[in-house]
Amino acid sequence: MRNVTAIMQRELLSLFWSPIGYIVIAGFLLITGVIVLVSETFAPGQPASLRSMFQYTPLILTIIIPAISMRALSEEYRTGTIETLTTAPITDFEMVFGKYLASLAFYVIMLACTLVYLVLLEIFGNPDWGATLSAYFGLVLVGVLFTAFGIFASSLTRNQIVAWILGAVPLLLFAWFSFYYVSRAEGWVREVLQQVNVMGRFEQFARGSVTTDGLVFFLASAAFFLFVSVKVVESRRWR
Amino acid sequence: MIEVRNLSKFYGSHRAVDSISFSIAEGEIVGFLGPNGAGKTTTIRILTCFHPATAGAAAINGHDVFTESIKVRSVVGYLPENNPLYPEMRVREYLDFRGKLHGLDRAQRRAAIGRVSERCWLTDVIRRPIGQLSKGFRQRVGLADALLHNPKVLILDEPTVGLDPTQIRETRSLIQDLAKEHTVLLSSHILPEVQATCQRIIIINRGRIVASGSPDELRERVSGESQTIAEVQAPETDVRAGLEGLQGVTKVKVASTNGWTRATVATKADLRETIFRLSAEKGWAVRELRREVASLEDFFVKIVAGAIGGSEK
Ligand SMILES: Nc1ncnc2c1ncn2[C@@H]1O[C@H](COP(=O)(O)OP(=O)(O)OP(=O)(O)O)[C@@H](O)[C@H]1O
Ligand SMILES: [Mg+2]
Repeated sequence: MRNVTAIMQRELLSLFWSPIGYIVIAGFLLITGVIVLVSETFAPGQPASLRSMFQYTPLILTIIIPAISMRALSEEYRTGTIETLTTAPITDFEMVFGKYLASLAFYVIMLACTLVYLVLLEIFGNPDWGATLSAYFGLVLVGVLFTAFGIFASSLTRNQIVAWILGAVPLLLFAWFSFYYVSRAEGWVREVLQQVNVMGRFEQFARGSVTTDGLVFFLASAAFFLFVSVKVVESRRWR
Repeated sequence: MIEVRNLSKFYGSHRAVDSISFSIAEGEIVGFLGPNGAGKTTTIRILTCFHPATAGAAAINGHDVFTESIKVRSVVGYLPENNPLYPEMRVREYLDFRGKLHGLDRAQRRAAIGRVSERCWLTDVIRRPIGQLSKGFRQRVGLADALLHNPKVLILDEPTVGLDPTQIRETRSLIQDLAKEHTVLLSSHILPEVQATCQRIIIINRGRIVASGSPDELRERVSGESQTIAEVQAPETDVRAGLEGLQGVTKVKVASTNGWTRATVATKADLRETIFRLSAEKGWAVRELRREVASLEDFFVKIVAGAIGGSEK
């Protein structure tokens, strides 16, 4: 665990050292800010929520989160620092997991910046705190999954832009596809899509219902992609 | 300390290391010498657990590099070939991070950083970002990192590449100093470099060990390549017959011009005296008599050219 913390600390610092970290945060706040301003009615006395922001956030995150995690492994490959890292007495899992936690922590910090919208909400409206809280919890879970996928994408290539595309495009297509077709498909296809529909899963949380089913979905799929990432890192040693 | 048995490594179908074996005892300082692409880095990367071998086995401190790789990694200090570092980190930060990975606690890290930064002359730059340092200082950071956990075995891949002559000398003397407490394996493609620092040299070419031994032993092997040249006033056939009659002579080359015969005798021993006596006995006039000893450099150049490596295959 000490090794994981060491990796995570360094990684988190390097995220804040690089301009990319700030660009990502700025981009995220800009997009969500525009959505909030355009669609929310901040009329006094009206029941207010961040519903519209929450509705689209997972789609935005498919692009934002892989940008956070894209450097994690690919940059180590590109600069060759992977050599000092993987010849230090730490396991490949500790390295991957430390990097994962750093990207996730960065995401959570970024998400925390949106709490400012909640302040607006409190001033101008009458928010449903229960639903808002569970929606935030859902967003964290979406991050848990997307970050794992982003790390996986980063393990595949030494080029961070390629890593970003490899992370963002499948996530975006998948999230949109399963969301769009789940109501149109039939039979077993529909059942499967219902299981893997990230947007739908998140919507449950946004509506205020926290289910173990949803929790297990996000955690298990994140664990899967982390496992695959470790395997990719291991297999790259054989080349 | 380091045991390597029949180690091979393929990159796809390209054989980079071809069934090499050697062993290094505790406290030895050994130079791995070979031309570009010989397979030095490939071998070193197997020993440091960066990538696994295709066949064969290697062990450090009694631990197999593949099955007990974490144990191996914790006794090895490694300076990789191109010395990759994080440019955005400060020297102290970087060493602190590396210390954590080696399981040192806060107090141990502070002590270790103090020790290595003094040893590698880093004290003045300890707060500077690594990216701003000159190549020589970055090399010292890499070396300091390798020494941080006081490893039993130091593996340095071309530690002096890219340094200026003063720094090369400083680094060499540092390495020799380190060899008192650590077992050292270093690689180089420059002969004087390993000759100056190492007790033993392993010469490798095209993935195979072509020679190994102390610099003196190698020089002895080289003098096996030496030749004696004599120019005497006598008919060619007489000279050939006379020289071939000498003890230990296998090959004689003769050529004559204007009654003078120039003979080149390839021998291990020094034949100058014998040839002089022979000439005196036969009444030949001598106008040249000398011995040509191939230098270690020649030997190495021949190996690089594939002359020796090829014949031993
Ligand atoms: N990652 C790789 N993929 C494919 N081939 C490789 C790889 N690394 C090295 N090789 C090949 O393996 C052979 C040995 O390379 P290696 O780097 O071990 O040589 P070296 O002795 O360290 O040379 P140098 O003195 O240039 O550092 C070379 O022919 C090289 O082209
Ligand atoms: Mg090399």
